[in-house]
Amino acid sequence: MGAPAGRLAVVGIDCRFPGAPDTGGFWDLLMRSGDGVSHVPQQRWDAGSFHSATGAEGRSNTTEGGFISDADAFDNEFFTVSPREAAAMDPQQRLLLQSAWRSVEDAGYPPHGLSGSSTGVFVGIMSNEWAQLHLTDYPRVTAHVGSGNGYCMTANRISYHLDLKGPSLAVDTACSSSLVATHLAANALLAGECDQAVVGGVNIALTPALSIFYTQAGLSAPDGRCKPFSSEADGIGRGEGVGTVVLRRLEDAVADGQRVYAVIRGTAVNQDGRSNGLTAPNRWAQQDVLAAAYRRAGVEPSEVTFTEGHGTGTALGDMMEVRALGHHHAGRSGKPMALGSVKGNLGHTEGAAGIAGLIKVALALHHRTVPASRFAARENGGLRLREHGLRLLKAPLRLPSGPTVAGLSSFGMGGTNAHAVLESAPAPAPAAARPAGPPAAVGTGAGAPLFTLTAPTPEALRRNLSAQADAVSARRVPFGPLCWTSNTVKSGHRHRFAVAAADTGELAGLLRSAAEGEDVLQRSTGTTSEQRIAFLFTGQGSQYPGMTAGLYRDSPLYRRFLDEADEALRAHTGTSVRELILGGDESVHRTEVTQPALFAVGWALGRTLTELGAKPDLLLGHSVGEFAAAVLAGALTLEGAARLIAARGRLMQELPAGGGMLAVRAGRESLAARVADEPEVSMAVVNGPSATVLAGDITALEQIEKELGSEDVTTRWLKVSHAFHSPLMEPMLDQFAEVAREVGGGVPQLPVYSTVHGRLLAGEAMDADYWTAHVRSPVLYADAAAALIEDAPTHMVEVGPQPVLTSLARRLGPPPSGARPSVALPVKGEESGGRDLAEALAVLYRDGLDVEWEALYAAEERVRQRIAPYEFSKEHRYWAANPVTPVTAAPAAVAAGGTTAAGSEPEEEHSGAPAPAPAVSGDGVADAVLAVLGQVGGYEPAELAPHLRLYEDLGFDSVMVMELKGRIEEHVTGGSELEMQELLLRLSSVGDLIGYLRRHPATRSSQEKKA
Amino acid sequence: MTETRQDGSAGGTSPATYLASVGTALPGEAVDNNTLAKTLGVNAEWIEVFIGTKTRHFARDLATGTVRWSLADLCAEAAGKALAAPGVDPQDIEFIVLGTATPDTLMPATVNHVADQLGLDQVPTFQLQSGCAGAVQALSVARSMIASGEYRTGLVIGGDVCSKHLDLQRDLTGAAPGDLVNFVLFGDGAGAAVLTDEPRGQRVALREVLNRFTGLGREPGQVIEWFGLADRHEDRQALREDYKAIEESVPVMAVEILWELLGELDWQAEDLDYLLPPQLSGRMTRLITEQLDVPTAREVSCVAETGNNGNALPFLQIEKLLEQMTDGQKALAVAIESSKWIKAGFALEKTS
Repeated sequence: MGAPAGRLAVVGIDCRFPGAPDTGGFWDLLMRSGDGVSHVPQQRWDAGSFHSATGAEGRSNTTEGGFISDADAFDNEFFTVSPREAAAMDPQQRLLLQSAWRSVEDAGYPPHGLSGSSTGVFVGIMSNEWAQLHLTDYPRVTAHVGSGNGYCMTANRISYHLDLKGPSLAVDTACSSSLVATHLAANALLAGECDQAVVGGVNIALTPALSIFYTQAGLSAPDGRCKPFSSEADGIGRGEGVGTVVLRRLEDAVADGQRVYAVIRGTAVNQDGRSNGLTAPNRWAQQDVLAAAYRRAGVEPSEVTFTEGHGTGTALGDMMEVRALGHHHAGRSGKPMALGSVKGNLGHTEGAAGIAGLIKVALALHHRTVPASRFAARENGGLRLREHGLRLLKAPLRLPSGPTVAGLSSFGMGGTNAHAVLESAPAPAPAAARPAGPPAAVGTGAGAPLFTLTAPTPEALRRNLSAQADAVSARRVPFGPLCWTSNTVKSGHRHRFAVAAADTGELAGLLRSAAEGEDVLQRSTGTTSEQRIAFLFTGQGSQYPGMTAGLYRDSPLYRRFLDEADEALRAHTGTSVRELILGGDESVHRTEVTQPALFAVGWALGRTLTELGAKPDLLLGHSVGEFAAAVLAGALTLEGAARLIAARGRLMQELPAGGGMLAVRAGRESLAARVADEPEVSMAVVNGPSATVLAGDITALEQIEKELGSEDVTTRWLKVSHAFHSPLMEPMLDQFAEVAREVGGGVPQLPVYSTVHGRLLAGEAMDADYWTAHVRSPVLYADAAAALIEDAPTHMVEVGPQPVLTSLARRLGPPPSGARPSVALPVKGEESGGRDLAEALAVLYRDGLDVEWEALYAAEERVRQRIAPYEFSKEHRYWAANPVTPVTAAPAAVAAGGTTAAGSEPEEEHSGAPAPAPAVSGDGVADAVLAVLGQVGGYEPAELAPHLRLYEDLGFDSVMVMELKGRIEEHVTGGSELEMQELLLRLSSVGDLIGYLRRHPATRSSQEKKA
Repeated sequence: MTETRQDGSAGGTSPATYLASVGTALPGEAVDNNTLAKTLGVNAEWIEVFIGTKTRHFARDLATGTVRWSLADLCAEAAGKALAAPGVDPQDIEFIVLGTATPDTLMPATVNHVADQLGLDQVPTFQLQSGCAGAVQALSVARSMIASGEYRTGLVIGGDVCSKHLDLQRDLTGAAPGDLVNFVLFGDGAGAAVLTDEPRGQRVALREVLNRFTGLGREPGQVIEWFGLADRHEDRQALREDYKAIEESVPVMAVEILWELLGELDWQAEDLDYLLPPQLSGRMTRLITEQLDVPTAREVSCVAETGNNGNALPFLQIEKLLEQMTDGQKALAVAIESSKWIKAGFALEKTS
């Protein structure tokens, strides 16, 4: 399915805006018509000392603005940036870097996976305040201060840390910067200059300079809030923000099955030229840029359902914008075009304004709802919107199904205008229209998914587990696709977490307990290192009816290989071994069935693991288990091994009954003499230093059993039909050798630890002679396993229907050097299914295995799912050490400390630090009010400052207010009653209350009496 | 003359819906703040100032705790009045829809007891489990049924018996405001209306109904638990409200509902003769009405006198409205259910 060319897909988003810590929070703020504007944080500047309600020279008329949280926090360790360098970096660089990482993840890319790719970075930015503060402090300009500043570095840092090779640039066109950056990115993508683009915008207010400028230019809203197109509009309020999106050519995104938030159909940029004034908005140029964008997008204006306006909320700006839009929309038939602006929620985010609008429009198209525009209810009637074919978004607008076209404007103060036309994402191709899935013969899927997460440190892992737990429990998502996405996107770091779970509910619980509990975290986490994987194939005795039936049911991958083995065997067994196994037939204990059945299970399981990426470095098979090992080692073909094992089983079955096998808890040395004396008995198996099996004539074995019993040596009869690996096998040897010669056999391509020789095969072929000797010779498992362990495998995987060999190996003791190998058990027993296989894989993955994720999932599960982005540490904070004050004389200094305390506290040497809040003057009224407030609220009078607000800061509620009223009447107003409604209006702050009561006649007379 | 309404999606027309009559029921005498304050041991002035509700009615006797009226009783009384109004014939009722958050029993649904009391049989009945938006949801269902052309006349009811949770044994001295509110905010009552496909009785056209869930990913603002045999001893609060979230969100949602309805109808705010704002409490309703800012429209509220009796409120407001409404006048109602943030509203126009 092709997508139209010339269009771009928004595939990843991340942002932080005032009142919105992330993309989800941003959408929530918009849908609530929330207010992100608040008082200027003390960390930025002392708003009070810059404030002048009348807008005096050098002052701002507002103490409010839209500020983002944690602007000073930076996870420098994640990016391996030293604290010193981090402290010298413009926070705009730091925030963009983190945001870029998150939006790349949101786009479904593992960020490391973009390394070296043709990915461009385009940043819109207009605030350079960090440089103004730090590059003028000449004695302290270091190399880091240099690279920590400058527009270019915001983009270049992202390219550097993510190793992106496409164009990387920052653009400043004032308030239109980030939409112009989007335009440049779009052009670069369409021109083939890059294949992906990270587009960002950022704005952090470090100084009041622009607030003062807006005030002096008569453009600043006294309440610090933009009120776009509202009758209450009275100017601009500044806002901060950081946002990034990932763009691709639409056809590439669709072909890759990538999730698309929205489509950019066309963008345009132009200039006012020599207009009414450098900074005045120009209606004609805006009109032209709209026309150019519509033309490029190939849409008629009437097709545009809604437009995210520039909407700064200045009288002139709003009017120019409405007229420019009206030129295109006044003649529309049907409903007027809906109009709104995010500036009502955030303030004017300047360099980030374009990206804020772009993200809002993309999310609106994605969620099929356009949020209401804050302050729209009181529309500015003077704009005559209706006549211009426009209507304000006073309520959220539900978008109909089918494509919706939207516009987005961003205009720069210097006259550079930008407009973009977006459209809702194309409907995902229906399942039938997707490329036909692989035929059943190449079935994939282990039957149970694995959720994985990686992080550079255990602490980071824990933090991100917690974030994922929150995300997973918040909303149901398809489980397989979520896991598959976690495997691909959340890869690349050293500390690896992996768990298997049945569904999102169980996963959320596991993630939460791993995030909170040390034990769970340790059990499910590992660190990557070199792996040497040993496969141990079990032999006779491990079989049982219905073995691996659960895995066969759950895992298409295992099914595929067991079917293949069955197919190979059927020519020689005449019947389906698979049906006998899965049917739970007791005949699986008859050696003519047991041997081919164990071979089929061992080989299929081995191939399943190999296909999943777990390739053996060392191989060992216990007796019959050696056939599957030989095939995996390339010494036998599947067909050859099938023929051989079928013949072996059949010939042994045909031998007369009467032999037996006796397990003895004693070493081979202590039994050697006894066996030598008895020609009808031989040493059949050596499993360990005191685990031996004797085989042969039953009468002779019974004699030995009696003798050992008298010596207090424990013995146990094995449930076998024949005495394997004993002289009783000799009658079949000739016939078997004949088949074996026809089958042949080569030198294994991987190290095989032979239980015939009890050592590593040194270039010896596993041929007819080998397999014939294999029938009669004792199984020297203890020797083979000891040799294997000595060669230092990191992991032992037991390949068979139940674990036997790994526990025998453990009893051989620790390796001569190094740690004991870890054990992975893909089949634990009768109940095992896909989940045990997944958990075995998890053991290997945690320690560094590169899993073939494609094989772990069925085709329909390999669908990208949005996954919560990386949660960065907020532990380290870096900020300008200088408080910005009106009397700044000393040049700024950089806080080099890496911790909260050092980073955010002003240094003592600066004299301009704001004085602590003045104490309340100690008159009688104030003292009495403070005492009363203290009694009701539980505060010491010294803790109460005039600026503290009763509700927000002191936690008063209405019941406390009732009590307060009573006490005031008793202690302040001399018993005279206060008017409740009147009092309520005076309760905003401690200072207000004191002032009100000072002026209150009842107080005065009461005070006079006291005096 | 029967009007038809444009059905936007199909491009065709379907029968318009009219409100022919309305009836309400409030149990017993009004309980004033002093009485309530004395019974509960709270401050009467606090109720007056912070809740702004002056009186309410309870189905339960305040002195003895005895239940005097069931929800079915109140609903049947209100419905009986609506059915007895001029221009309405009980024989015409073809369906019943009841909205409530406080049914008498989970089964049978209270609506069936109401039908029984009214002597109505062989009609489809529906009960919508919903809080403050239930009455509007009932109107929405009824409107759709009439618009389908299959039904011509139906009975819509809303009612709640909030005093089920008025625990008279509780000692409230020292209780936090959030806790106290639950005891002084609510009241009991029911209301009903007869809807028709042609102008009859009051001849008020139901021009638009809005009913929309908007609580995706949001914590509920209000939770009413229910208890069964297995969990009745669990120490869970039967009624919880997040007043902070309600105070923050409801006014914003109310403004959006107003403008969305106006937008759908292509009415201007100045066209409105009456505004029926959400009836949370006397004080909150006052604040919300200020925010709605339609000074040309007369406010029609009842909560200060009736208390918050849930799904009865819109009918109590409509009843007050009809006392004043004249031909050609327009009214718009806004309701919000803060449980899972449901927006609701409707528009009325008196035809000549």
